[in-house]
Amino acid sequence: MTDLEQMLERQAQWQKSRQSLTWPEKIRMAEQVRESVRQLRAQPRPTIPEPPTR
Amino acid sequence: MQRVGVILDYALFGATAQMRYTEPVATLDADVLVAVASADRLDVLGGIYEFCAAKGYRPEGEAIRVGAWPTQFVPAFSPLTQEAMEQAETADFEGVAFRVVRADHLAVIALSVGRAKDLTRILALLESGSVSRDAIKSLAARYDLAKAWQRFEWKFLND
Repeated sequence: MTDLEQMLERQAQWQKSRQSLTWPEKIRMAEQVRESVRQLRAQPRPTIPEPPTR
Repeated sequence: MQRVGVILDYALFGATAQMRYTEPVATLDADVLVAVASADRLDVLGGIYEFCAAKGYRPEGEAIRVGAWPTQFVPAFSPLTQEAMEQAETADFEGVAFRVVRADHLAVIALSVGRAKDLTRILALLESGSVSRDAIKSLAARYDLAKAWQRFEWKFLND
């Protein structure tokens, strides 16, 4: 297994461990990140430059 | 609200309900399906707003803040959401009983809405093992969503 595969495997395990938290624990986690999410969504989205035309 | 007759039935759905089955997800508000007692009112949710105002819960945009959560009350708007609400499970939230929409109904409601975040929800529910592809397929077929499910399977689950 390469380093990258190991890292992805560890991340998958971490995500699965969060799934096994209780529902109230997961709701509390969502509460903690909500303000950051709100601020991120309130920011203007970066404009994607048009591809050059020939 | 149910006890005093403002609503007849309710069930939590959307991301906060999803988190009962999957890992935590980022969301800004809580969504609650409701059957209102006065469905013939022009402002269907008026009774809920009045009840909440009397209890000191203040409106926040289209939602009402309940504790830490802006909460959106959504009338059960289709036969699918009606069934999802009626067949919701009762879950315990730190000693408080909450009606929560089942995983199969969450997945098929998400399929019916069809935004990118809804399709992600279906994948998360499948990944969590809380619902099977067969269960979604069968429920989707009952609500005229067989083609939508076929497209979803082809796009995202094409092994």
